[in-house]
Amino acid sequence: MNLKDRYAIVGVGCTPQGRFPDRTVLSFYVESCANAILDAGLERKDIDGLICYRQFPTRPGEEEVSAYLVAQHLGLSPNAISQEANCARSHLLHALAMLEAGLCRYVVLSYADTSRLGTLGSPPSYTDKAVFGHFGLAADYALAARRAMHTQHTGPETWKKIAVSQRRWANLNPAALMHGQNMSEEDYDRSRWVVEPFRLADCCLMNDGGRACVITSLERARDLRHPPAVIMGIGQHNPSREIQASTAMDGPTGAFFAGQTAFRMAGVTRDDIDACQIYDCFTYTVEITLQDYGFFAPGEGESWFDHGRTAPGGSLPVNTSGGLLSEAYFMGLTPLTEAAMQLMGRCGERQLGPATGTKTPELILCSDNGGVFQTHSTTILRKG
Amino acid sequence: MKPAMPGKILPQPNADTRPFWDFCRRHELRFQKCAACGHLRWPASFLCPMCYEKAAEWVQSEGKGTVYSYVVYHQAFHPAFAGDIPYVTAVIALEEGPHFLSAIVGCAPEAVHCGMPVELTWEDVGEGFSLPKFKPIQQP
Repeated sequence: MNLKDRYAIVGVGCTPQGRFPDRTVLSFYVESCANAILDAGLERKDIDGLICYRQFPTRPGEEEVSAYLVAQHLGLSPNAISQEANCARSHLLHALAMLEAGLCRYVVLSYADTSRLGTLGSPPSYTDKAVFGHFGLAADYALAARRAMHTQHTGPETWKKIAVSQRRWANLNPAALMHGQNMSEEDYDRSRWVVEPFRLADCCLMNDGGRACVITSLERARDLRHPPAVIMGIGQHNPSREIQASTAMDGPTGAFFAGQTAFRMAGVTRDDIDACQIYDCFTYTVEITLQDYGFFAPGEGESWFDHGRTAPGGSLPVNTSGGLLSEAYFMGLTPLTEAAMQLMGRCGERQLGPATGTKTPELILCSDNGGVFQTHSTTILRKG
Repeated sequence: MKPAMPGKILPQPNADTRPFWDFCRRHELRFQKCAACGHLRWPASFLCPMCYEKAAEWVQSEGKGTVYSYVVYHQAFHPAFAGDIPYVTAVIALEEGPHFLSAIVGCAPEAVHCGMPVELTWEDVGEGFSLPKFKPIQQP
């Protein structure tokens, strides 16, 4: 099925992001979805598809969030509804399938959370890896990064450039959690170890909040408020094997195959890409993803990221909101919604183009990765 | 049977992993070898991921391999490990093939490196459980 130029992102919904102990996760779901619907210039009666993330455990006293609960609180009775753990990379495929099947006209994708510390730090039930003292995603990604340090030239000298470049974008984004905090390479070097080879500055943020967007056909998109962010190409690949059992821990990851699929559908090449929004749970994830997309050869990341190539003013901007490292964590919706906002020209001080000494973007490449390099999707968006 | 050390996390065997942990109690590191295609699989599983045969024999590993990758914990994600910091968990490439997540002991964290030869050593942790950990092979 060739979906090129058939569907588009037409609205983005944000919420306050940070620490909000007095708010429920449901409140972030409904606020982000309502904002996305209104942002698109739609009304609730238009929405006939709703997709929610499988929520992390709620705070004590909160009802578990189901997609029905979110729909109820938004006054919706959708034709199709879905809730699962594979976040934006699969949600986008599901939305396109719902639209392509004729079940829906306007689908909302949403993610919200209020309690990530609990799931990353000390999960309620331990796997057998915990008996050895092995916990959490930082350690799993660090295993992959350490193996890559052994087989190719990479490490903190590469990753600090990624962290610092993204912080410079966050400094231009008033909504970013790290907006007011500068980061130099020396600041990176002083950042404390979490699970070596990762420092705290290599790790994404954890925050309360929600994010949503609306997808519809390009035909319908033309009648709406904003210029659409048109989906040109999409690809997914799921290597699936858990990292501890992997015999190819240093890649290629799913990005290699998902990227090829997306580029083929879009009919464009890397050279056509004006900016990237890369899922950045850790700095190394940005490096291996761009490497697997073919922007540079294994081990050449350190020089490729040099001289602010991906920072404001650079020739290939990456993660222009600050990303998961420096803006806020909304899974694959952080990169996807930032790409849409940039293509719509709504990014203010950080807007790609003359304001930031960068190319005005026609095409933006987005990635989303999940598990521990077990699943990957690539989306190429163009200005509508 | 000794009681568990206070606060330690013990294995939680399920129907798929119980034989593995039962062999560990006897200080035997064993993996399932497919009765049909001979594939040695880890993690433990109901059937062979290569040929879908259910029958398998639990064959013993010599417990020798190399460090495939490793990480150094500078932060305790559970109070039971607060006293161990800094400590190393690693994926061991066993000579028989499986990649096995474990811990490196008997060695300073800064001495660990990818490719380092290691061998099995057992740690009895209580309630009859023993953990297969790995230590450097002493060069003569």
